[in-house]
Amino acid sequence: MTDALTLLSLLLVAASATAAVVVRDPSRQALVLAVLGLALAVLFTVLQAPDVGLSQLAVGSALTPLLILLSVRKVRRRGQPEDGER
Amino acid sequence: MNGWLVAATVLLAVGFGPVVWGVATGPLERRVVAQNFGTSVVCLVLLLLSQGYARPSYVDLALVLAVLGPAGTLVYARLLAEDLDDDPPHAHALTVVAASAAVVVVVAMCLATGAGRATVKLVLIGALLVAGNVIASRALSGGFPKGAAASRD
Repeated sequence: MTDALTLLSLLLVAASATAAVVVRDPSRQALVLAVLGLALAVLFTVLQAPDVGLSQLAVGSALTPLLILLSVRKVRRRGQPEDGER
Repeated sequence: MNGWLVAATVLLAVGFGPVVWGVATGPLERRVVAQNFGTSVVCLVLLLLSQGYARPSYVDLALVLAVLGPAGTLVYARLLAEDLDDDPPHAHALTVVAASAAVVVVVAMCLATGAGRATVKLVLIGALLVAGNVIASRALSGGFPKGAAASRD
């Protein structure tokens, strides 16, 4: 049973990591990355490393998406006037 | 080995598998809803795992996620507001499902642990989960007045 749990969380991590690579739009990638962080936190907990999972949750669920989305927003705003001039 | 771990495995497979699929494909509205639902599912899975492994300290993970999950969804609702504006996502059914599942899991764990400080912590996590779900769902569907967000833009 424990093996099934480990296998399932490993599969979910693999699936979400593949999705994070395949998805190309950065703002959608941020969403997939958040889900990847959740899957990693479950995997770490299943492997009896809750401290690692705790830091993964703290960074992955709110901080990484915030940084990515802020960067996307800044790049978009900087890009718009240049497109207008050209 | 025990029923709690079986429940965690089933919840992970039934709840989180579709979340990965939903967040990887489809329109942006569905992806945001799937990510929000995923935080609730994983929080419940972590609660069940802590009970299954008989390690009360693992509950801290669920507590952190119950606080940070809705915060992350609010980040999306704020920063993706322009993309979500034309077709705001409505997920009342999913919100009800997540909230009732949280109530069921928390009540079952409270009955299993018995009275004490752990119960207070569990009830706090459950309240945070339900409140966070409702707030995040309302924010995503544009339920809050747009004047505040529009004036800042």
